Amino acid sequence: MRASVLTRTLRDKWRSFRWWCIGILAFVALYGAVFPSLHGNKSLDNLIKSYPEALKGFIGFGGNLDIGSGAGYLGTEVFSFWGPIVFLAAAIAVGADAIAGEEERGTLDLLLSLPVWRVRCLLEKLAALVCEVVALGIVLWVLLVIVSAAAGMGVSAANLAATTIALILLALMFGSLALAIGAATGRRALAIGLSATLAVAADVLNALAPLASWLNSAKFVSPFYYYSHDDPLQHGLDGSDLLVLLALVLVVACLAPIVFARRDLSTP
Amino acid sequence: MTAMIWAEGLTKFYGESRGVTELSFEVEAGEVFGFLGPNGAGKTTTIRLMLDLIRPSSGKLELFGLDVRKQSVAVRSRAGYLPGDLHLYERLTPREYLRYVAALRGLDGLGEGEALAERFELELERPIRALSKGNRQKVGLVQAFLHQPDLLLLDEPTSGLDPLVQKTFNELLREVVAEGRTVFLSSHILSEVQRLADRVAIIREGSLELVEAVDVLRARAFVRVEATFSTPPPQEAFANLPGVRELERRGPVVVLALEGAADPLIKTLARYEVLALDSHEADLEDFFLTLYREGSASAS
Repeated sequence: MRASVLTRTLRDKWRSFRWWCIGILAFVALYGAVFPSLHGNKSLDNLIKSYPEALKGFIGFGGNLDIGSGAGYLGTEVFSFWGPIVFLAAAIAVGADAIAGEEERGTLDLLLSLPVWRVRCLLEKLAALVCEVVALGIVLWVLLVIVSAAAGMGVSAANLAATTIALILLALMFGSLALAIGAATGRRALAIGLSATLAVAADVLNALAPLASWLNSAKFVSPFYYYSHDDPLQHGLDGSDLLVLLALVLVVACLAPIVFARRDLSTP
Repeated sequence: MTAMIWAEGLTKFYGESRGVTELSFEVEAGEVFGFLGPNGAGKTTTIRLMLDLIRPSSGKLELFGLDVRKQSVAVRSRAGYLPGDLHLYERLTPREYLRYVAALRGLDGLGEGEALAERFELELERPIRALSKGNRQKVGLVQAFLHQPDLLLLDEPTSGLDPLVQKTFNELLREVVAEGRTVFLSSHILSEVQRLADRVAIIREGSLELVEAVDVLRARAFVRVEATFSTPPPQEAFANLPGVRELERRGPVVVLALEGAADPLIKTLARYEVLALDSHEADLEDFFLTLYREGSASAS
């Protein structure tokens, strides 16, 4: 098979992808090992229930703070804590590097001197981002299914899949945002900084929403709301939430080629 | 027959000083067209406009009779580009990189790359990051030629090449032209362009100074003579010597342009006490000096 921008980009990412996988494996194994000692531990539950509301917003996943249950444990530890951090970091890094990274390293000039349509180049980079995040999601899901069964967490594979899909879409939304900012400006650091800042802001907005009535209606603009509010770990797939996340990804992804097609490329 | 490159009123503003203004020129099929100018004159900008990497502020630009903006993919499929500032994928080997380039050009394997690499004695298996500047430049040349393009856009192609490789490069250019293909060659070295090109355009601060056949240019070539005197000679000391023009005077140092026989100048110099004498073939800077002289002379 002849190489394409997509296959070349995937090959280039293979090295870092393995490290992300090792990181996920280590974390999931660690969480699986700790769970049995927390299982059914009521004093920990009571401790968390005594936390201030503001803090609960950050640690709870879809309002479930029952850390002694499998769903509550995975929700607070994995899906509201390091899951978003790892997946958003990976997606933003790949997205920012897609166009802006190549442009800053100076390789984009030669790439686009070849008979490759600019928009197509960008779409293949976007496809590579999707492949990488989905692959990370599959790795996470498989590991969680194994650990959930082994440690007796009792969370179904279907619910884990639903939550992982939501996490993938959340990461893709900010990854494609980083790609779009990078494609619009050619600046990698700006793309990383701005999309990471927006991600943190969106998370804080969603977490603090229950505290103030004026925030409560603002939470609807936060992608994190659609990611977690219905607690897919307990309730499974929620089609409308996933559709909102998917729509957000598509909107951001469609902006990227429009801005990229119009501008001058810079040289390092 | 349509021109290979056709520019009319081509203008690109950006930044404060960089860019090009009102460039109009034509490059015919089968010629080596030298694009000569000092660094920062707008040579790279012009080439990047041709490849649709940047977009013109105004004016028209066609390659192969195709609009470089509307038909950029078709244009780029028939052109080969060597950037002046070459950035390659450091982790790949030349073979991996050239295979990628060939694939994006719709070719299997390396296209002509294998034969070219052999000719340039380019080692294909070591990672690019481990290559010397000269070897990187070879990778750049091979990727520009591997699809046998109708038009080569070469930005300072000989920088970093050792003399032996330059000879191979010169031969390659001659073959390309013999096959009726076209070369657009930018350089800041007058002698290089004189050696390789049929016609030359001189660009300075974003504007074309002249477009001329190299033979005509060569006829205007001169030797630059720089003499240092113990005391400055009178202003008109070299005024009426045949083939001699005074270019510059800095205290006791006088810079002269000499065309033709040296004897009258030598005899005149001998009347004064000369502390140092230096002469060499005029370079681009000297050439510009004479252009200004002519410009101001015709203006007054």
